[in-house]
Amino acid sequence: MNRFHSVIPFVFLIFACFSNLFGQASEQQINESELLSLLKSLAVDDDEVRANVITSLAKSGDPQLERFFELYRQGSVYNWPDESGKVRIVVNEETVMDDDFNEFAPLFEPINGKPFIVNGKQAKPDLLDLEDISPGRKIRTLVNSSKFLLRLFSKDKDVRISGIKKCGDPPFLPEAVPFLKEIIDDPSVDEKIRWLSKESISLIRFSGKLEGESSLSDRINALQELGELNSLRANARIKNFQNELNELYADGEITAGVKRKFDSEITKVKGVLQGHKDSVELAGNLFRGFSYGSVLILMALGLAITFGLMGVINMAHGELMMIGAYVTYEVQMYFGHTPDTPIDSYYFAALPLAFLVSALVGLVMEGVVVRHLYNRPLESLLATWGVGLLLIQLIRIRYGDNIGVNSPTWARGGYEIAQDIVLPYARLYLIGLCVAAVSFVYFILRRTRQGMLIRATMQNRDMARSLGVRTRNVDRFTFALGSGIAGVAGYGWTIIGGVTPDMGQTNFIVDSFLVVVTGGVGELAGVLFSGLGIGVLSKAIEPMEFGDFVVGPVWGKVLLLVFIVAFIQFRPSGLFAPKGRLADKK
Amino acid sequence: MSAEVESGSTNSMAEQENTALKEYRNFLPSKIKKDIWSSKFLLFVENLSVSFDGFKAVDIPHFGIKHGELRVIIGPNGAGKTTFCDLVSGKTPPSTGKVYYDGKNITQMDESDIALRGIGRKFQTPTVFDSLSTYENLLLALPGNQDWQDNLLKRESEEEKYQILEILEKVNLSECRDIPAKSLSHGQRQWLAISALIISKPKLLLVDEPAAGLTDLETERTADLLMELAEDHTLVVIEHDMDFVRRLGQKVTVLNEGRVLAEGSLEEMETNEEVMEAYLGR
Amino acid sequence: MKPVAQQMVESKKSLVVLVILGFVILPFLYSIDVLSIGQINMIGRYMTFAILALGLDLLWGYVGILSLCQCTFFCLGAYAMGMHLAHHGGPEGIIDANGWKLPACLFVVYPYDVGESSGDALVPFFWKPFWNLPLTILLGLLIPAICSFVLGYFVFRSRVRGVYFAILSQAIAVAGWLVFCRNDVKLCGTNGLTRFDVIAPAESLTTFHPEDAKDKWIESHDGDMGQDLNADGKLDQLDYSMAEVGFSLSEPNVQLSLYFLTLACLFGSFFLCKWIVNSRLGRVLIAIRDDESTLNFFGYKPHQYKIFAFCIAAALAGLAGMLYIPQMKIITPSNMEAVRSVLVVVWVAVGGRGTLRGAILGALTVNLLYNYLTSEHDYGFFSWSPDYWPIFLGIAFVLVVLYLPNGLIEVVDRFKARFGNNSNSNPIEKV
Repeated sequence: MNRFHSVIPFVFLIFACFSNLFGQASEQQINESELLSLLKSLAVDDDEVRANVITSLAKSGDPQLERFFELYRQGSVYNWPDESGKVRIVVNEETVMDDDFNEFAPLFEPINGKPFIVNGKQAKPDLLDLEDISPGRKIRTLVNSSKFLLRLFSKDKDVRISGIKKCGDPPFLPEAVPFLKEIIDDPSVDEKIRWLSKESISLIRFSGKLEGESSLSDRINALQELGELNSLRANARIKNFQNELNELYADGEITAGVKRKFDSEITKVKGVLQGHKDSVELAGNLFRGFSYGSVLILMALGLAITFGLMGVINMAHGELMMIGAYVTYEVQMYFGHTPDTPIDSYYFAALPLAFLVSALVGLVMEGVVVRHLYNRPLESLLATWGVGLLLIQLIRIRYGDNIGVNSPTWARGGYEIAQDIVLPYARLYLIGLCVAAVSFVYFILRRTRQGMLIRATMQNRDMARSLGVRTRNVDRFTFALGSGIAGVAGYGWTIIGGVTPDMGQTNFIVDSFLVVVTGGVGELAGVLFSGLGIGVLSKAIEPMEFGDFVVGPVWGKVLLLVFIVAFIQFRPSGLFAPKGRLADKK
Repeated sequence: MSAEVESGSTNSMAEQENTALKEYRNFLPSKIKKDIWSSKFLLFVENLSVSFDGFKAVDIPHFGIKHGELRVIIGPNGAGKTTFCDLVSGKTPPSTGKVYYDGKNITQMDESDIALRGIGRKFQTPTVFDSLSTYENLLLALPGNQDWQDNLLKRESEEEKYQILEILEKVNLSECRDIPAKSLSHGQRQWLAISALIISKPKLLLVDEPAAGLTDLETERTADLLMELAEDHTLVVIEHDMDFVRRLGQKVTVLNEGRVLAEGSLEEMETNEEVMEAYLGR
Repeated sequence: MKPVAQQMVESKKSLVVLVILGFVILPFLYSIDVLSIGQINMIGRYMTFAILALGLDLLWGYVGILSLCQCTFFCLGAYAMGMHLAHHGGPEGIIDANGWKLPACLFVVYPYDVGESSGDALVPFFWKPFWNLPLTILLGLLIPAICSFVLGYFVFRSRVRGVYFAILSQAIAVAGWLVFCRNDVKLCGTNGLTRFDVIAPAESLTTFHPEDAKDKWIESHDGDMGQDLNADGKLDQLDYSMAEVGFSLSEPNVQLSLYFLTLACLFGSFFLCKWIVNSRLGRVLIAIRDDESTLNFFGYKPHQYKIFAFCIAAALAGLAGMLYIPQMKIITPSNMEAVRSVLVVVWVAVGGRGTLRGAILGALTVNLLYNYLTSEHDYGFFSWSPDYWPIFLGIAFVLVVLYLPNGLIEVVDRFKARFGNNSNSNPIEKV
């Protein structure tokens, strides 16, 4: 028991990391009355005042204002002074006429778009009572850009980031520069957002669209800033700039010397950016390799138990994973989790259930089929294949061909560990899950009495039995454990991949057997090394290029298989092969 | 012949040392002309060692078997007797050292090449091909047809048939000639394995525990069979059973913890303190 | 194992049954319209599966090598023949710059490079040898054999055996499937080879190149090409390939002939396997299954024998593939999915591994059952849906592995033993 305590906090740590993310759901309510009182100043027919109002409105970041800005630009916003002459800002888009051809204007609230209620019903004053406050040409441009600027202050981080990025993309938004500067100077704002603002400003300046800073040398300065920022977005802009330079040179507007100077600067920055890009790609591939490797380890771990320890070739292993995935689906349906009404907790509830249900199926399988086939590996391969066929078809009849497991909301984003290197939470979760599963299995096998019994039975069944070990129970437990881990693998898979009845045969079984065989049978460490090795290797092969030929996932897989065949040439019994007298047994 | 001449300088030590061991002292095949040592020894190993996960299962600096000799290797459990056979027959590649046989370095060869050169092997548990009949088992053991092309096109000649029947007669298996080997008794399987070994006409036979699991009568007959074989073969017999070894009455080598402990007649060994210590524990 | 002489007698009996059934009874049933040509064609296809199963049985039943990539070899043969058929397959397609006709099935999915248009499509070099029928047949046997040799040479020499080999071969099957699914290898991607209707036109027997064929054609017309010339006064292959019509694959008589051809090949394969198994080499193969390592110490090199058996099995699979495609008229990469190769193992296991008759029995039984049980049946109290077939197969297969390790043939033999030697009593079961 004592040892067990050391595992629990670790598991909790992983889950805690993710549960933090739920906190974001409670958004701050924007004070509407504050905005409304601001709006009143629009009634003042003074461009400066109006510009101020628009600016402060934009800074509120309230997404409802986007509609208001549009209405205001169209001229659908009016002042409807009440009896005492107090300003009331209202919206009217269409008028209605009564039988006497009087034109009335049904009014709406400016911000939330609800009907404007006076004395318990929607106000419908005569159109003539409304006072036109539509903006002049100058203000109208400001309003127009405010629709975008609004996003710079959005409370939703993703909207804000995309808004900031958009400012720096063509057709560029020079009006945003003062706002972006403000964001940069605000220390309470998230570091990433401030960095992005900086990047966007530099991009705008580099584009030459910023008034007063559109000279070539200003733009080169901006480019250098971009180089210092390691801005990958700048890469796409450099080409245009070079074309521009070439045109200017062709038109004789700049001298060869100037051009050379600029060119050398560009090359320098390009080099810096390329270096950054390479390291980002390297890190990305490495991470992808690790995450793929952890998926492989998860898949192969259960197999390492049933095949490595028990010598049973469980071809239904992939189907046990499939069952884990369908349990996850069932739990999702029970919790009522959909993309629109996310109930993320379902995903954690599914983990133990996936384990248990798969383990149960494994237990039944062991009792009915597998127990007759110990020490007959080829037969066990065939019989379990038959069981797999059966399971696939049962699931297909019950669920049809395709179902959707919606991953929990937190799994969609990613954690930016360094500039431009985003680690998707789904993948991180899988790595965590893999570590947890491996520790769990290791713990059971090496640190519990049951694990000792398992190892004893698997090494010498007769001896163990004569020592009073109930080998039947040990077999049951071991097989159920391996099956349960398979279920966990299937559960983990739902976060990154599709769920179909034959997913086990198409996605898992060959890969996981290869991992076990490459690793060497009977050693957990072998599975770890070969899983990570194959994962990293395949992600390293995929982006390779030979002339025009890019390897890509399919050829990558073929190459990998060839590589494994070649590897087994040199190490016929895998990375961690049993030696000496033990070697003969396998 | 100069190789075996004793230097004679180590007289004080020589009293305690087993005289037989000295024979190898200055004998290094890699340094001496091939025809000299190969005329002396059929099998010779030099600095042979193998380790499994750091544990040295066999570590023999020098050891040789002369032409026509019957040598018995004894030793306690885990002394490395079977591993030694594995090394010689190519089943296990050695970590260091060399194996010379019939004037050739056979260290890197695989089992079948070594077997084709005339080293026959009988395993501890009788290894026969269960689904094949006794006759077919011996048919496969016949030398000269090991390539696949020969096997596809050739049938056994009358002479070969006669050979098989003769040896079946000798080991009392004539009635079982068409019975699959899996239905034979343990003793019959043991003899079948030995017959297969004999019919393959090796120059050197490695016989691993021929008496294991046999009745007294069977043991006796096996010993006789081996003695008969020793007349025109070179034999290495690994045995546990002291009575059996005594019956053979040949030169004995004692292995312990992978090393050669002593060499000489069984009587000498039984008086050797080191040997007794190894057997009885310390 | 039974003594050889007794076995020979037994196999002769079942052979007589097979000959009568295959060459007399089924054609007779066809001639009196009990069986349709479609059913004859279907049985012909299942007999190609039986050839495939024979190869696997030699490998698995006798040598103990469980190969899970037999369908890959089957498809290699089928694709070889498919390419040949596509070359001569009717008027569709275009003529490429080198004067070769780009077959219709390749033309519709041709993987153009950026900037290429339909005029730039070329018949790939590896399609060209399959113009000639005798060469195609040779290659259809050799290519699988060579592939299996290379694989076997590397794998068996380093003593990969048992389960390891099974898994490795399955990986090979997956790799092969992935490659054949790719459109850019110019084997028609997932569409597969299809759209052909002619077999053995005269031009395919004697010529190696469309230009040769053209010359011959002109020669045979004494230079009088008349209306066969194109508008621009040229003769192209679209015309003369139609002029030399071979045998139409949709013609019942052609299908019946293919059925007889398949049957003859099945016998041929059976006798080949029988001869191998009964030779001294057959004993070595069984010895490998029993105890491979001991065989080493008798001076044998088991990997030679394993490679030999593997090559024979692969060549038989290639033969089966070559016979299959003219009867099926399509071959796609789905035929080489990993599952398909496991199915071959199922046939052999159900029929009875280690007996050649068992392999044939298994392949035919399972496939006929498959044919029957994948359509709707109403039994009154219970209606059968095709959805149940995998469940049925799964359960039946598990039961066979657990309780009938020697397969159906054991049941047949027991039945025979009980009722004496009246071996003609139940001909179907004897097959």
